[in-house]
Amino acid sequence: MKPGETLLFLGFGGIGATLLLALLWAPSVSLEAFESPAAQRIFYWHVPAAWAAFIAFGALFIGSAGWLFRRSEQMWRLHVAGSEAGLACGLMAVWSGCVWGAAEWGTPWDWTDVRLNTFGLLTLLSIYVVLGRGSQPDGVETRDTFAAFGLYGFVLVPVTYIATRIWTIRHPGPVVGTGDDGSINGDMSLVLLLGAISFTVFIVGHIMASMRLTALEQRLERLQTSTDGGE
Amino acid sequence: MEGMTHLAVAYFGMLLAIALWTWTVVQRSRRLDARLDALEAAQRGPPEQIGEKTDD
Repeated sequence: MKPGETLLFLGFGGIGATLLLALLWAPSVSLEAFESPAAQRIFYWHVPAAWAAFIAFGALFIGSAGWLFRRSEQMWRLHVAGSEAGLACGLMAVWSGCVWGAAEWGTPWDWTDVRLNTFGLLTLLSIYVVLGRGSQPDGVETRDTFAAFGLYGFVLVPVTYIATRIWTIRHPGPVVGTGDDGSINGDMSLVLLLGAISFTVFIVGHIMASMRLTALEQRLERLQTSTDGGE
Repeated sequence: MEGMTHLAVAYFGMLLAIALWTWTVVQRSRRLDARLDALEAAQRGPPEQIGEKTDD
């Protein structure tokens, strides 16, 4: 088994364990503080998925910059892997957020909330990059176009990160990394930490596996071209 | 209890989705490896053909 695939399976196992602990072991939240206390447990999926999406968007940014400034094939593969991983994790975070929003707020989406909309835009950007790249023939112009989107789209990442620190509209504020003890207890933090580690391992494994896939596809194309040319 | 059942269904659905995604990636990798091996073997050709070409 390849290293990327090993990480994928390890991460998947960790995610499964996280969800099991979140369902059966993590303490319940106060009935007074939440409209839907059971739905709050979706946070053990939602937060690590959003964290993994940021890692993937970071990979997309580095890959895009590496392609634009160094014309590196390795960096192009990172761009491809980062956009696919960002799309998957972005959809996971958006979908789980909508499920929670529907249960807690009575609406799956709030068009006035900055965090929701900037993260939604990031996910839309990755959809555009993945689908757009697939519909175009591979070439320097195509790569430059999509790498530019990956590069400049990254500006939404810090905006999304600080959105709830500056404008708390509907999305809850940060629960970790706030400088104080945060608003979650020890057991909750433990499950959340396991989720964050598992999603990180999973997404790194996916990026590695996806970069290898792109390399294999490029090698296959070269071999086919040389075979066709030799006939 | 109803809320927990809904949550369990949502968790299971999400796990199933990433399991399918992981499976797709692994299968794509296996298929590409197999195609590359087949193509490289075809390019090398059978050993006797290589011998004939060398003799020529």
